[in-house]
Amino acid sequence: MNAPDRELQRMRVPDEHRGVGARLPFVDGVEKVTGTARYTADLPAANALVGMILRSPYAHAELLEVDVTEALSLPGVRAVVTGDECDMPYGVIPIAQNEFPLARGKVRYIGDPIAAVAAVDEATAKLAISRIRLKVRELPAYFKAADARQPGAVALHDKKPDNIEREVHNEFGDTAAGFAAADLVREETYESAEVHHAMMEPNAALAAWDAERGHLTLWSVTQVPYYVHLTLARCLKMEAAHIRVVKPFSGGGFGHRTECLNFEVICALLARAARGTVRLLQTREESFLAHRGRPESHMRLKIGMKCDGRLTACQLEMIQRGGAYGGYGLVTILYAGALLNGLYDIPAIKYDGYRVYTNTPACGAMRGHGTVNTRFAFESLLDTMAAELGLDPFAVRRRNLLTAPTDTINGLKIMSYGLPECLDWVEQASGWKQRKGKMRKVGDVGKGLGMSCSHFVSGSAKPVHWSGEPHAVIILKLDFDASVTILTGAADIGQGSSTIITQIVAEVLGIDFHRIRIVANDSAITPKDNGSYSSRVSYMVGNAAAEAAENLKRLLVGAAARKLGVPETEVDWFGEAAAVLGDPDKQVSFAQIAEEALVGTGTLAVKGTFTCPPEFQGGKQRGGAVGSTMGFSYTAQAVEVSVDLELGKVTVDKVWTAIDCGFALNPMSVEGQVQGAVWMGLGQAMSEETVYENGRHLCPNMLDYRVPTIVESPDIEVHIVESIDPNGPFGAKEASEGSLSGFMSALAAAVEEATGQRLRMLPITPVRVFAALQEAAAAAAMANAEENRP
Amino acid sequence: MNALPDFRLFRPASAGEAVRLNTAHASSRFIAGGTDLLPNIRRGLFNPAVLIDLGGIPEMATITESADGLRIGAGVTLAKLAVDPRVVARLPALAQAALAVAGPTHRQSATLGGNLCLDTRCRYYNQSEFWRDSIHHCLKLDGDTCRVAVKSKRCYAAFSGDVAPALIVLGAEVEVLGEKGARRLAIADLYADDGMAWLTLKPDELLVAVHVPFDDAWTSAYEKMRIRGSIDFPLAGVSVALRRDGANIGGLRIACTGVASRPFAVDGLDVIAGKLFDAAAQTIVAECVDLANRSMKTTLVDALFRRNVTPVLARRLAQRLWNGA
Repeated sequence: MNAPDRELQRMRVPDEHRGVGARLPFVDGVEKVTGTARYTADLPAANALVGMILRSPYAHAELLEVDVTEALSLPGVRAVVTGDECDMPYGVIPIAQNEFPLARGKVRYIGDPIAAVAAVDEATAKLAISRIRLKVRELPAYFKAADARQPGAVALHDKKPDNIEREVHNEFGDTAAGFAAADLVREETYESAEVHHAMMEPNAALAAWDAERGHLTLWSVTQVPYYVHLTLARCLKMEAAHIRVVKPFSGGGFGHRTECLNFEVICALLARAARGTVRLLQTREESFLAHRGRPESHMRLKIGMKCDGRLTACQLEMIQRGGAYGGYGLVTILYAGALLNGLYDIPAIKYDGYRVYTNTPACGAMRGHGTVNTRFAFESLLDTMAAELGLDPFAVRRRNLLTAPTDTINGLKIMSYGLPECLDWVEQASGWKQRKGKMRKVGDVGKGLGMSCSHFVSGSAKPVHWSGEPHAVIILKLDFDASVTILTGAADIGQGSSTIITQIVAEVLGIDFHRIRIVANDSAITPKDNGSYSSRVSYMVGNAAAEAAENLKRLLVGAAARKLGVPETEVDWFGEAAAVLGDPDKQVSFAQIAEEALVGTGTLAVKGTFTCPPEFQGGKQRGGAVGSTMGFSYTAQAVEVSVDLELGKVTVDKVWTAIDCGFALNPMSVEGQVQGAVWMGLGQAMSEETVYENGRHLCPNMLDYRVPTIVESPDIEVHIVESIDPNGPFGAKEASEGSLSGFMSALAAAVEEATGQRLRMLPITPVRVFAALQEAAAAAAMANAEENRP
Repeated sequence: MNALPDFRLFRPASAGEAVRLNTAHASSRFIAGGTDLLPNIRRGLFNPAVLIDLGGIPEMATITESADGLRIGAGVTLAKLAVDPRVVARLPALAQAALAVAGPTHRQSATLGGNLCLDTRCRYYNQSEFWRDSIHHCLKLDGDTCRVAVKSKRCYAAFSGDVAPALIVLGAEVEVLGEKGARRLAIADLYADDGMAWLTLKPDELLVAVHVPFDDAWTSAYEKMRIRGSIDFPLAGVSVALRRDGANIGGLRIACTGVASRPFAVDGLDVIAGKLFDAAAQTIVAECVDLANRSMKTTLVDALFRRNVTPVLARRLAQRLWNGA
């Protein structure tokens, strides 16, 4: 797979049918850029009641009484619901469900929902919220993982007396022997602040209760309509068949919406209680409080290395401040260890992970789930040790490459591996050999270059719910009008899944792109899909789409054969027409073929599915399913910075990113996704961090939570490497997450060249750079004074 | 709140009418661009029954030139101010400061007067009602304790307008109109060092215009420290004006914003007039700026850092002007 002389298969890309490999704008792009796309908050619902949530002002308290009498008696208030309304805990991981949509017995963070009202207008709803009386007994609260783990700390949850939600301990290979065999062993501490997704669209839901039938329809911003559906059925104790979930246009997710969130259930509870329709819009602050972002992480990392850079062993202790509830946290803490594997060849790895409950909003999945902070630590220490051994950062990485196909020591399968080509391109494009270590200071501005590698899964091979169903299902409908409608449950959250699926169907069928429509995310119409997370859609749904299209094509070729009066083997398929093989003049059009295909059977509904084979579903160890995938994307990147040495301010001048995404189904979309991932990494690396003071979110707005603006956004040059994965659709793999996690360490390395200081805490803000420079200057002055002492 | 609360809106055609409306309605506020006021109303920081829209007053929307300088209506947008050729050429600090405010879309509607009268800001104040309720409020609004300095009897919320320090070093005056007529005062006198009462305007008064003198012997500039190159309020903003007298400094004025409850001129710079702009002068600049700094824990960015970088900005700007003069 990885031989440099291997000739990459290029797909045929005729202009006329716009199949895979074409640089196509998104199929839903027109609506978005013209403003006609309707998002959840925009949906017409003339008589919808206004929903509003009462949130806890206490970080940790026993809830003794929630008195809603006065609120309920206000004119215009149609429903008030509390924790009494739902006694079913929920959570995305079936074995870790400990969250209630409305608090029962206890509140665990400032912002925890306690009650909700539905009223005729916002002012009435607000008034009603202010009339709800609480009686509580406050409890000691913990905002740092270390505090929550202190002996005697009050437990946030029953059965977790030490506030540790999940401990992970595993060792693959012999790390003791590995460290003993190393020429250099170094151990270092790294930290990253908590970051949030800051998706453009704030949370919103619309719920309609059909009082006559007892049925519910919910529209929401979710990435996972199926999980929302399951959770609604659970929390409302309803038949799933009586629920319909629709996802309209969505303004981003980045992992925030990969699990059912409290506002979705609350909106449904309100609609049922009010026996009507309720719109629940969340403020930006409330969206921040729903959180689910990347946890504050403390990492202690130890690496063993030979003089030539060959890795011998690695040991990581990861402590994540998980927040108040389980959420996806169990997966986060497992990913953080499991994906030490899969990028390099490391003979022995020991991992100790702790996800700790604290009185802050719950963390969860965020782009690069679980891997990002681990990667920051690992690549950073790799650089530091390489420097100590006098090795070039590229050289030390090349010394530890994998060879596909292979299995990692923790049971992950690597089937394609384009990292060597990624490294080559980045090294050349960034002018690394000529420039690294020779960047000149100009005035008070230091310059630096840094690089790193990273990877990510193409979908979790083991689904969250082990239902025995395929991982993905696509239905294609061919009807009398000779149009093909794709029905998919895959949630397009801006990543372009609807476009990719359409391109795959167009490629296989060879028909005009405009003959194809896609309908996504309405549980009453479209097949179930697990949702848009873990970068699973292109790979899994893409494969299902290709299979569905092949199945449909088979029927169409049969129909064409009948129409042409020849055996199927003699049909020459052009897509928009078919002809007799060797006799192109004997032709029938696609419309004629479609008509023939429907004879005696009517509308065709053809299915395609995809299932990850069991051997790809991870190692046998506990938690071994996490990290398992059929293909990893690979990224190498280089970052060039300027640092104002007096102000500590870092400017990213340029980024070079090469990604092995297997095959670019849509190169323009791949480039956009990679740039977005790099940019999101830049945010975490330079300016984004949530800050809590006594558990109170100090920056729940887009002014104080500083996502980079266009001014900070550098030119990001993207190069696509196509390793053609043997199992991916047309060879494709993940393209939208892997490039994120390499950014931080590449930036830290570049800043080190520019300033002489290696920062081990994210984000690398001017305040931290300034402090590091001051400390270094003070230390230098001290050393100088020592030297000059008589 | 997602929706704005109910209010009555007036749109007077003259400044005099605006003043009369303001006096006639106890719970009223002037609104121009609304880029600060509307988010603040949404957050429950104000709940005015009446808004008086200044956008229909021609005398407040124009820039007029005389031999002495410019009269800039308070309703002139920052976008317009930043590209006005007279401002760019002869009052560069003002153009740079206007361009440094927020982002391009804000500047399209935000006005000079709005930026000068900008509400003071604090991490404990610019939050939602839910948030402020949960800390039992603060001195600036509905509470009795300053959360920044708990024992303090005053509010330390920081003035964060970019334009004021530029106008201070340019020697501008403001024109205000009240029930009893118009008056002019030096721009620095528009402000008081109090986060709750940072403007010296009387309740009946309206800021109508700013008068900025031309003096081409002076060069000027503005720069701010911020984490992001757009949107952010100044963590520290510095404006410098410098006049060269042969080989020596003829005069140097420095004003700061974002580091106290008011924008202020830095004292003690007179001693370097008549001297070279050398290392000694640079040290004096840095020391004077540092001495005047009152950065407090009003933003999420460390106060000590803000204090430390302010003199650097001042020294660099002065150096740049010196080199270019």
